[in-house]
Amino acid sequence: MVEDAADLVFMMGKFAARVPRDRGYVESHLWLQRQGDVYRVGFTAYSVRLLQDVYFLNWSIDAQTRVRKKQEIGEIESSKALSTLYAARNGLVGEFNPDLLNDPSAINTDNYGAGWLYEFSTDEPLLSAEEYLQVLENGWEETQRMIKGQINE
Amino acid sequence: MAGKKLTVVISQQQGKNPVQRHLEEEIAVQLLGDPDIDVSLVPHLYDLSRDHTGTMFLQSVPGNLLVLSWLFSRAARWILDRNGIKGQEGISLLNPEEEETDAPPATNGIGSWDVPKRKLYCIDLRDHQQAKTYLEEIRRIARENTVQTFDLLGLIQSSPQRTKLQKYVEPEKLLQAAEAPANPETDEQVKRRWYPVIDYSRCTNCMECIDFCLFGVYGLDGADRILVEQQDNCKKGCPACSRVCPENAIMFPGHKTAAIAGAEGEVAGLKIDLSRLFGAPNALEMAAMERDTELVADGREAVGMTIGIPKRQAAKPQSRDNLDDLMDGLDQLDL
Repeated sequence: MVEDAADLVFMMGKFAARVPRDRGYVESHLWLQRQGDVYRVGFTAYSVRLLQDVYFLNWSIDAQTRVRKKQEIGEIESSKALSTLYAARNGLVGEFNPDLLNDPSAINTDNYGAGWLYEFSTDEPLLSAEEYLQVLENGWEETQRMIKGQINE
Repeated sequence: MAGKKLTVVISQQQGKNPVQRHLEEEIAVQLLGDPDIDVSLVPHLYDLSRDHTGTMFLQSVPGNLLVLSWLFSRAARWILDRNGIKGQEGISLLNPEEEETDAPPATNGIGSWDVPKRKLYCIDLRDHQQAKTYLEEIRRIARENTVQTFDLLGLIQSSPQRTKLQKYVEPEKLLQAAEAPANPETDEQVKRRWYPVIDYSRCTNCMECIDFCLFGVYGLDGADRILVEQQDNCKKGCPACSRVCPENAIMFPGHKTAAIAGAEGEVAGLKIDLSRLFGAPNALEMAAMERDTELVADGREAVGMTIGIPKRQAAKPQSRDNLDDLMDGLDQLDL
């Protein structure tokens, strides 16, 4: 995806994390963009910056599974971090991006495009790009403390 | 003479995994002829009730005791402690070494009580595949053991039940018992259990668990120490109280998360855990959700976060760090 002058930007130190306006967001740092009847879901630039190089992605549920918000759906491991992944809203997880199953590197190279994670259907409201930017601004101090805390442990 | 022998007890797996069974049997067979070692088999430690003959046998062992089990050694130690089987912590070279600098030693806890002088070794059978590895370590400990003096306290503690329990200590019957559970004396049914185990080296007696649990699992002993009083009141699969424990002193040895099952220290290793960022419920939310599930299953009302939720300190005072330093620091972490 070409950088668009209309994108919002959040500065993580010197790193500019883009927040494109052509899609919706959730607080757990995912974007959702309409593709026909469903959303495609992916990591925001903010997520990817914190994760860095993704090595491993594993889904613990099958495609076409109905999920509750905060339900565990998979795991991700990168050079710097690991995390369980959770459903961002109540809804239905459709197909997973087949290209990522063997090689998740598109998450790093094209997180807003070819690096999409899965299809998702939900009726619940999403955040706009502006609202997500506000989430980033509000949470940045705490995120740093959380990461620092873990590094210093 | 009895005091010089090392008693080795193999706590069997819960299932019927042939590989695990083979390891148990090979260790037992190899130790049978060893003059410095008494070897016995008991069912899985966690499932043994207080009045099971296996528990009573363990309680009757006067001298140094080495327990091999399919459990983290910390979990095994405190399961035994709860059943009155105590001893000074014996150091096995097979136990994972603790990090020298991180992982501060647990010094805050109230500790165990009435601990006899004898040594108690707990070794995890999941750490190695070869019986040889275990046999070498057991024989090393047995040698170390023969040098030590006889412990009078241990002699006093050995109970008359010992004769009734003779089957456990007679090696020739050992394997028959393992092979043929039809033997009426050994055919005590052991069903799978689920309950919390307190690590008193960490527990500070803060009472948050007893406030949180609504199923009457916890109680106090005569000295007002927190106790897992009604083990079988606990709800299978629910580890909620371990999440509210501020000292990580509560273990569920059967839980899939190693930290809850009793692994030493932080298991996630050096990588940063971003789960919270990606929407994980926090430990208290998770604990309340798990408790609600069990309450509803019992036909009771969900209470959410309204009862027994500790009022923890809010986020610690923030150290204001330069953003660039942080991100550079992340980059430099060579993980």
